[in-house]
Amino acid sequence: MKKQTSRAVLVVVALAFILPLMIILLWSVTVSWPFPDLFPREFGLRGLAQIFEEGSRALESLYTSVKISLWVTILTLMITIPGGKALGIYDFPGKAFIKIFALAPLIISPVAIGMGIHSTFIRLGLTNTELGVVLIHIVPGIPYGIRIFTNIFELVGNQLEEQGKVLGANSFQVFFHITLPTILPGLISAGSMIFIISFSQYFLTFLIGGGSVITFPLMMVPYIQSGDRTMAASYSAVFIVVTLCGLLAIEKVLKLYYSKSSGIAGAFYTRKKVKS
Amino acid sequence: MKRKVQIGIITSMILILATSCGGHEDETKFNLEEMTWEEILEEAEGSEVRFYGWGGDQAINDWLNGFLAERILEQYGIILEWVPMNIDEILNKLQGEKQGNAVGTADMIWINGENFYTAKTNELLYGPFTEVLPNFVAYIDSEDVEVRYDFGFPTEGFEAPYGKAQFVMIYDEAQTPDPPVNHEEFLTYAKQYPGELTFPAPPDFTGSAFIRNLIYDIVGYEQFIGMEADEEVVREAIAPAIDYFKELKPYLWRSGETYPATIAQLENMFSDGEVRMVMAYNSNLVSQRISSGIFPETSTSVIFEKGTIGNGHFIAIPFNSPNKAGALVAINEILSVEVQSSKYDPENWGDLPVLNNDKLSQDERAVFNSVELGKGALPQDVLLENRLPEVPAPLVPIIDRIWMENLLD
Repeated sequence: MKKQTSRAVLVVVALAFILPLMIILLWSVTVSWPFPDLFPREFGLRGLAQIFEEGSRALESLYTSVKISLWVTILTLMITIPGGKALGIYDFPGKAFIKIFALAPLIISPVAIGMGIHSTFIRLGLTNTELGVVLIHIVPGIPYGIRIFTNIFELVGNQLEEQGKVLGANSFQVFFHITLPTILPGLISAGSMIFIISFSQYFLTFLIGGGSVITFPLMMVPYIQSGDRTMAASYSAVFIVVTLCGLLAIEKVLKLYYSKSSGIAGAFYTRKKVKS
Repeated sequence: MKRKVQIGIITSMILILATSCGGHEDETKFNLEEMTWEEILEEAEGSEVRFYGWGGDQAINDWLNGFLAERILEQYGIILEWVPMNIDEILNKLQGEKQGNAVGTADMIWINGENFYTAKTNELLYGPFTEVLPNFVAYIDSEDVEVRYDFGFPTEGFEAPYGKAQFVMIYDEAQTPDPPVNHEEFLTYAKQYPGELTFPAPPDFTGSAFIRNLIYDIVGYEQFIGMEADEEVVREAIAPAIDYFKELKPYLWRSGETYPATIAQLENMFSDGEVRMVMAYNSNLVSQRISSGIFPETSTSVIFEKGTIGNGHFIAIPFNSPNKAGALVAINEILSVEVQSSKYDPENWGDLPVLNNDKLSQDERAVFNSVELGKGALPQDVLLENRLPEVPAPLVPIIDRIWMENLLD
């Protein structure tokens, strides 16, 4: 009985996620779909053809988007891993304040942040460059990274690292052979999160990129705003497929890499897994 | 020791950030007066021009990225890059760059009406430049009201005409064989089919134009030309029209308690068969929508017997454009017979041309006449004969506000 209810819940949840996606896919190849009809009346490739035609601007922007988001993911992880570790393991005055402060980009509207940073970036000559866009995308990713890594480090602690040091490993060895493998699950979830956040930025990209850096959302949003459902759905479908591929790639690469360098941390991680 | 090194690194980073805030002063000065057209052409060759504007229409985007970019590359070796971006976002960007005294990225912007008014009064535009363009001198009637004024605001050569739009209402002939042509018939029609007519609420651009068009039909348009932007004056002038809207309200979609927020929403409702009428500030939109399969085959456009509002849209050059020579050459090319006629073709865009008929040769006129109008569209001469001027730009937000106060709860 209990099993049946949980299965029903599962089906409902799955439908709630999958149905809207199906509708987007359907709209992307729809020419006309009048109101009372259950299915589109006419199909066509107007939207997808424009995206995939030869020399398409959309594909170019897709490449720019993926490139920027990958850089943002790497850089944000480099910032938030030490940040999360400090907050998760060490005690220092003002820790609670900094914990909340790290969430500021979520609390303050991105418009306000963007406008302020824009004028600074103008002076620094970072506007209208890909570097500027990468830097601004780091901002909204930081709260997620910090949050996830703080929790992970609170769980994992640093005893394993210290043990490694006692046994004579240097800082780099400790980091790559102990720290990274133990925080792998956090690395995957934070990495995917940051990738998606960067990939879907519209406002910050156009503000700092100024139209010189054209990412995929910059091409997509005008169609969503103007209400051309076929075009909007075509772009959205490509958007979803690419983010999914990005996520899978991040997970696969990290897992593959660290399943090879197992060692003590690998054992620690598998033991934990078995326990739970 | 380690601590000290860390603190040292952080302070030096802050110092570097602080000192590098010197700013860029190398504004490219560009002296139009001293250059001949040949020199401008030479300067522009091989450069890149970035054209910013509203990018929500696939047909327009394809025409700009396709025909126009190819033509400008072929003729002048200039790379035209079309950047889809909303005009208010562009103006924000320019404003920010002005405060930061920075060289911009936009060389041309697609603009008109209130936005031109805002841009020009905030000195965000470069100019005057139109008299430099050979095609402007050859083909454009610079004394024409629609060239000299944009929503009643003098253009003074700070923007070049790009195209003309005229307001039309679109009905499905199969459903509405005898569409209303004035405000009384519109009310009767609404009463006949309650809940099946509506329009986007302001500040939607098209919905706001529809309201002005009904106001014109009720109280006449003449009094608005040169009317001062005073709320009381406007309120009094449009009072009969506001009464009309109140009478109309209960017969609209959802009894007028809510209105579609955008014209896009209304278009979708029309193509879904939820409402009987849609409107457009582009007289050829209907044929383009029919050929993309979005509107029914029997859709047709209608204007009021007293006429409908028309406006022009323009191209301006931002004050901080990095490539003004390239922008001038591209704008000049846009004012050519070839580009204007290609733009007029409903297969491409269907935007009305801005060239003056009297200034065209026999052959050139034939080029425009050979453009085949698509299904449901009205011919250019019918539109031009029934074309009413827009109200002055500052009146637009006032009318919108008064309408919203009275009709939205």
